[in-house]
Amino acid sequence: MTAEFLCVGISHKSAPLGLRERLAFSPEKMAEVLALLGRDPHELVLVSTCNRVEFYVSAPVADEAARAVRTAIVETAGEQALEHLYEKRGDAALSQLFRVAASLDSMVVGEPQILGQVKDAFELAQKAGAARGELTRIYSAAFASAKRVRTETGIGRMSTSMASAAVELSRKIFGGLEDKAVLLLGAGEMAEVAGRHLVAAGASSVVVVNRTLERATALAGLLGGTGHTLDALFAELVRADVVICTTASLTPILTLDNVAPVLKARRHRPLFMVDLAVPRDIAPDVNTLDGVYTYDIDDIQKIVAENAASRSSEAVKAELLVAEEVTRFIRARAVREGVPVLAQLRAQAEQIARAEVERSLGAWGADLSDKQKKSLEAMALSIVNKLLHQPTAKLRAVATDAGGERLAGAAAELFGLDDAGKKRTGSDNG
Amino acid sequence: MGHPFFALAFHAYALGAMAYVAYLVRPWRGLAWAARICTGAGLLLHGAGLLRVVQAQHGFLEGPGQGVAGMTFLLLCIYLGVDLFYRIPVMGAFLTPMALAVWAPGLLWSMDAQTRDALRGPLLPVHISIALLGVAAFAAAAGVGVVYVLMERQVKLKHFGLLFARLPSLQVLDELNRRLVLGGFVALSLTLVTGAFFASGQGAYWVWQPKEIGTVAAWLVFAALVGARLLAGWQGRRAALLTMAGFGLVLLALVSSYGMSVPVGAGP
Repeated sequence: MTAEFLCVGISHKSAPLGLRERLAFSPEKMAEVLALLGRDPHELVLVSTCNRVEFYVSAPVADEAARAVRTAIVETAGEQALEHLYEKRGDAALSQLFRVAASLDSMVVGEPQILGQVKDAFELAQKAGAARGELTRIYSAAFASAKRVRTETGIGRMSTSMASAAVELSRKIFGGLEDKAVLLLGAGEMAEVAGRHLVAAGASSVVVVNRTLERATALAGLLGGTGHTLDALFAELVRADVVICTTASLTPILTLDNVAPVLKARRHRPLFMVDLAVPRDIAPDVNTLDGVYTYDIDDIQKIVAENAASRSSEAVKAELLVAEEVTRFIRARAVREGVPVLAQLRAQAEQIARAEVERSLGAWGADLSDKQKKSLEAMALSIVNKLLHQPTAKLRAVATDAGGERLAGAAAELFGLDDAGKKRTGSDNG
Repeated sequence: MGHPFFALAFHAYALGAMAYVAYLVRPWRGLAWAARICTGAGLLLHGAGLLRVVQAQHGFLEGPGQGVAGMTFLLLCIYLGVDLFYRIPVMGAFLTPMALAVWAPGLLWSMDAQTRDALRGPLLPVHISIALLGVAAFAAAAGVGVVYVLMERQVKLKHFGLLFARLPSLQVLDELNRRLVLGGFVALSLTLVTGAFFASGQGAYWVWQPKEIGTVAAWLVFAALVGARLLAGWQGRRAALLTMAGFGLVLLALVSSYGMSVPVGAGP
C-alpha cells in the first residue's frame, strides 16, 4: 500500500559541520533506525553523508512518521538539531530526492560521489526490508533522472569535488598516476576520500602516516597500503610523489626547513602536496622550493569554484531536466493510481444501483413482469452512467495532468472510497 | 636553385603554423590534422628543394642560406615526428612559427656556394648534416623548455591560463626535453670530432675560431646538463633553463661558423 512521501533532514545548507558530524550514523545505528522506522506500512531510506543526513519516508500518516523521525534525530544529535531540520512533503520531497541524486543539492554542484552514496543508502534500506514498493519506484525514477542529467548535461564532466580536483592537478604534473607513490598525512575521512580518488586514478602505492599507528593502519588497510606513525614521515616523503595532508595539527608539520633537505634525497623529483587541513599542515613558503608545488584548501576550492562557474549553465539545464523527470514520475503515478479511483467509483455506484433495484423489487417486484423488472434495472444503471459520465471523462482527461491527482483524491473523498481515499487526501498535504 | 620549391614549402609551413595557432584557440582535431598535413607537405617540398640544391652544386649545403634551410627542415622533421608520437599539436603553435622566423631571413640570403675547395671532401656533408641535426634537436628542446617554463609557472603560481588545459603534463614535457637534449648532445659531440678532423687537415685542429669556442662552450653546457640529469637527478625547470642557455650558445656558434666576422675563412 502506498502513502505519503516525505523527507526530513539536515544538510550543508541548513546546519554547520559540527552538528552534521554529531548526526552521522554508524552502520549499526543505521540498521537499528531502518528496522525501527521502516516497519510495514512505513518505508524508509536513510541517506547519511558528510554533507547531509536525510530520512526519506513513505508512510500512511505523514505527521506520525515525521514525529518518529524527529524523535530519532533528537536521540542521536540532541534537541539543538531540530532548529536546523527541514521537512518536505509530497512533490517537494520528490523534488528534493531527485535533486540530491542528480548532485544539484551538493556543496560542489555536479560532484560525482553523491549518486553512489544515495544508491548505497537505498540498497542498504532494501536489504533491511525498509524500502519496498513505493520507495523502490521513487528511487528507480530518481536514479534514472540522475543518469539522464549526467549523460545529457555537462555538470559531471569537469573535475568537481576537491579530491578529484587534486587528482586532476597531479595529472597535469605527472601525466598519469601509474607508478606514482601517494603519501597520506593524517587518516581522517578527508584522507580516505582523497586516497580512494588517487587509487581509483591508478596510484600504485599508498602510505598512510598518522599520529596514532592504529588509525594509520586501519586506513592503509582500506586502501591497500601501509601505515606508519609520524616518525616515518620524512623517510616516506623521500619516496612520495603526491602528498595529501589532513591532520588536525595546530602548527605546520612540513616547513621550509624540514622539506628542503629531503629534496636532494628525492633527486629533485617533482613533489605535489595538497593541504586540505585547517589550520594548514604545510607552511606557505614550502611552495617556493624548486620542483615543489603546494596547494592549500583555498587554492583547491578556487579551482573547484572555477569549474563550478563554467558549469553553471549546465546546472540550469540539469535543474530543468530534473523538474521534467519529477513531473513525469508524478504523472505516471497518477495514471497508475488514478484508474482504481474510477473503477472503485463505478463499482460503488453500480453496487448502490443494484442494491436499490433489488430493494424495490423486493417490495413490489411480484407485480412486475420480467420485462418491466429488466427495464427498471436498466434505468437505475443508466442513471448511474449518466451521473458518472462527466466525472469519468474528466478524471480520464486530467489523469496525466498536474491536477489529476488532486481531482482523483477529491473524487475519492467526495464519494467516500475507503482505501483510495486515504491515499489521495494524504497527497494533498504535499 | 630550388627557390620555387622553398617558396612553396614556406607557404605550406605558414598554413600549417596558422592551423596550429588556430588549434590553440579552438582545439578541434580536424585543425590539428590540417596543420600536420600542411607541415608534412611543406617538408616534402622543402626536402625536394634541398635535394635539387645539392645536386646542382659540387658541394653539400653551403653558406648560411642553405645551412638555415637545412636546419629548419630537420627541426620541423623532428617536431612532426614528436607530434605524431606524443600527440601534442599545441607545441606546433610554438615551433612552426619559430622555424619560419629562423628560415625567413635565410631565404633572402644568397644561395651561392662559398666553401673553399680545400675543405671539400667526402666527410664534409656528414659533418654539416650532423651539425645541423644537432642544432635542430636543441632548437626543439629549447622550444619544449620554453613551454615547460611557462606551464611550470602556472602550476606554481596557481594561475591557469589558456595553455594549461591544452598542454601535456610537466613530466611528459620534461621527458621530451631529456630525449631531445640527449640526441642533440650526441650530434654536437660528433660535430666537434669531425670538425676537429677537418681543422687538423688544415694544419691545426684548434685555432681559436669563435665558432669553435662557441661550439665547445655549448657542448660544455649540455655535457653539464646531461651529467646533472644522470647523476644528480636534475630535471624540470632548471633543466629547461639550462637547455635554453645552451641553445643560445649553439646559435652563436652556428652564426659564427657561417662567416659572420670570422677572420680565417668563410665556411666550415
